[in-house]
Amino acid sequence: MRFVIHRLALFVAALFGVSVVVFAALRILPGDVASVMAGLNSPASRVEALREQLGLNRPLIIQYVDWAGGLLRGDFGTSILTGRSVTSLVAGRAAITFPLIVLGLLIACLIGIPLGVAATLARSSAARAAFHIVGLIGGAIPALWGGLLLILLFSRGTGLIGLFPSQGFPMDGWGAPGEALWSLVLPALSVGIIVGASLMRYTRSSLGDIAASGHIDMAMACGMMRRQAVIRVGLRLATPQLVSVIGLTFAEMITGVMVIENLFALPGIGSGLVTDVGNRDLIAVQSELFMLASFFLAVGLIVDLLHRALDPRLASADIVAEVVA
Amino acid sequence: MSVAIRGLHVAIGGTSIIQDVDMDIAGGERVGLVGSSGSGKSMISRAIMGLLPAEATVSGSVVLGDRQVIGADDATVADLRGRYVGMVFQNPGSSLNPVMTVAQQIALPLRLHYDLNRAERLDRVRAMLDKVGLPGDVMGKYPHQLSGGQQQRVGIATALITSPRFIIADEPTTALDSIVQRQIVDLLVSLVDDAGASMLFITHDFAVLSRATTRCYVLADGAIVDSGATADLLARPAVPATVRLVSAARALSLTAASPVAALSTASPLTAESSTAE
Amino acid sequence: MMVVLRAMWRRAEGRFALVVLGLWLIVAGVSLFWTPRPLLETDGYHVWATPSAAHWLGTDGTGADVFSWLMAGSRTNLLIVVLTVLVAAVFGLLLVAAMVARRATVAVVSVVIVDALISIPTVLLALMLAVPLGASVVVIVVACGFGYGLNLARVARPAALLAARSSYVESALSNGASGWWIFVRHIVPNIVPVLLVQLSLSAGTSVLAESGLTYLGIGVPSGVPSWGHSLATSVKFINVYPLTVLWPGLIVTVVVVALNVFGDVLRDAIDPLTNPALRERSGR
Repeated sequence: MRFVIHRLALFVAALFGVSVVVFAALRILPGDVASVMAGLNSPASRVEALREQLGLNRPLIIQYVDWAGGLLRGDFGTSILTGRSVTSLVAGRAAITFPLIVLGLLIACLIGIPLGVAATLARSSAARAAFHIVGLIGGAIPALWGGLLLILLFSRGTGLIGLFPSQGFPMDGWGAPGEALWSLVLPALSVGIIVGASLMRYTRSSLGDIAASGHIDMAMACGMMRRQAVIRVGLRLATPQLVSVIGLTFAEMITGVMVIENLFALPGIGSGLVTDVGNRDLIAVQSELFMLASFFLAVGLIVDLLHRALDPRLASADIVAEVVA
Repeated sequence: MSVAIRGLHVAIGGTSIIQDVDMDIAGGERVGLVGSSGSGKSMISRAIMGLLPAEATVSGSVVLGDRQVIGADDATVADLRGRYVGMVFQNPGSSLNPVMTVAQQIALPLRLHYDLNRAERLDRVRAMLDKVGLPGDVMGKYPHQLSGGQQQRVGIATALITSPRFIIADEPTTALDSIVQRQIVDLLVSLVDDAGASMLFITHDFAVLSRATTRCYVLADGAIVDSGATADLLARPAVPATVRLVSAARALSLTAASPVAALSTASPLTAESSTAE
Repeated sequence: MMVVLRAMWRRAEGRFALVVLGLWLIVAGVSLFWTPRPLLETDGYHVWATPSAAHWLGTDGTGADVFSWLMAGSRTNLLIVVLTVLVAAVFGLLLVAAMVARRATVAVVSVVIVDALISIPTVLLALMLAVPLGASVVVIVVACGFGYGLNLARVARPAALLAARSSYVESALSNGASGWWIFVRHIVPNIVPVLLVQLSLSAGTSVLAESGLTYLGIGVPSGVPSWGHSLATSVKFINVYPLTVLWPGLIVTVVVVALNVFGDVLRDAIDPLTNPALRERSGR
């Protein structure tokens, strides 16, 4: 219980920290945002007017309090460029990105965990080497290239076997669920295969550690077959670690997701954020970065709590004791 | 159950670990296997249990009762394990399943081999806990909440819950301090004798062996170099490897007599003990 | 040095890594003086040309030679990898020093901060930096160096902690050695194996990150050759000559595999437990 309270306090502190960092970075780093937004060679008066309009002339502390106060009330500001509220902008994009991430992660788990188990169970050295190579190569493929290869193989029009659309999302979005889901298949595969390869390596190595510790031997001595022991005992014992890894992978996956959204012309959070950065849409970028960062902080929080809940040995430990010990 | 091992060879990655080992254990007999660490003792127990790592190559014959283990498929050997053959491991802390309660752990062989309902299983677990001298309230606890001695009692209960005919105890007391060691050995011996089962007791420590076994084999560098009645070997060791192990055991029991060194779990072949010969 | 290289060469994986990384260095060096075609030569009559004797991998939309750009790109990527690894190593080691500090508050606060920040994706940091800086190598190096430094600290902490609590550190402290001296002298050598593996993974990931960020328009600026640039350009080839798409991605994949393997093999090669040649030498 103390752990949960500590971890929640840390989460809130991290949210505050992130809001300060995001805010400060977009103002203190070299390159005045207003002059960038106004464009090269624009007259000083125009830059000044823009500063005024953005409220950039006010003291930083006031600007921050203004923005952070809005965040607390659930008001993420309005996009300078489109005049739409950032909340509605992000909500529309999340309807694509979130299913994409979930689908990608699902594919990654479906590929990575069974392959990791198979690699652990492989008896011949040739089979083990093959799994090793698959894991190495799978994790080294750039997301963009993986997506391209899938387009070359499976897309309608360009691909060898035309199965799936390779561009865009249906105009009426999830109004046509079948079509919408269909257009996410190739993007999700592109993301999922790469993440799956690294998940396979982690599964393999944590199952190896568990087998070395004797828990698998014990289960086998009780009457399980090797395969049964690895799957029933090994995977269960690896779960806390795998949950942590999946949580971190989730964060690393987002680069791939952004690339893939651009490649497949999906108007999701990733491609939207890139567009907003390109447009120097200050308020939108600031709020979007904060939202995404808090999302990942929340994922980290959930993962840590899950990790604890899954391992009875950790139930009584707490952060401070652990660090000082 | 009688056990017969003939011409057992084990190699891992081209390195020979066990060479041409022959051993016999009669029904109801308690036999020891003694050797210094690295002599290959555990590989023999793993070969008997079908627990060798995937990269090991094994040849020869291991017959448990009337069943050949070497070359049999995993399902066949798995059916023997936990039903007719029980195993007590060296380090209960790293072998007991950390996410299982004591009751779930001890009941696991029953669940895998017998069709009992939950209440019947719990009855047997409770009776077994009583036999190994643990109070009933440990049933809901996790291994990390128990002491080393209590953990090993859980390990013994798990190995014996199905009343197996043959027990392999692989250095069951090495991880424990010397007072608990004696208790655990005595407990194991009495439970095995009560059940009329046979036992292979593996250790590096002759002092423990004399309490646990009547006859023993001495292993050095993967081969059997000596065998005979445990008392005889202890009284008149002749083969160099046996001499070393016996004098190491004497040195250890001498130091263990002083309360300061009661926690000693060190390897018998320390520099001191070899100069003591 | 030679002993280590020889030990690495003895393993198939090690040979692969050494050959690929060696080729990379050579190509990067050669591209400083020579490429099949000048980088800025654009051939307006041969835009999107298919591979030929004149243009081995064809030309892009401006008529520039794809092969020459790939060669020159190896320079930029080398620079990015070296800088990222340096930033990650320095930042990561500073964090490790804080995490094993003897003052409990410093240790707790740094562990807690690393745990919180580690869940924030590198690309978000890159996007944040890109608002004022635009597309730039600095964006990649700072964002990746920061993220990988956090990872490094987290992975290296257990080994560092073990060393920090060891008896030889205790005795060095009682002899009046300073904290920093102990960190450099006693703790860092103990985490070298983890450090090598983690940094070589970081090197590989930074190559991947370069390609992703450049494609997103916040990495290497346009007009500067890099593999990410070539990969992004090749996307447009897909309707012209699909096989050209394969090359930049293949190069990136092979190099990343080599970098990932390199750390593993190097760790084993400098470990006296797995490299008998080192044992003999120190025995003499």
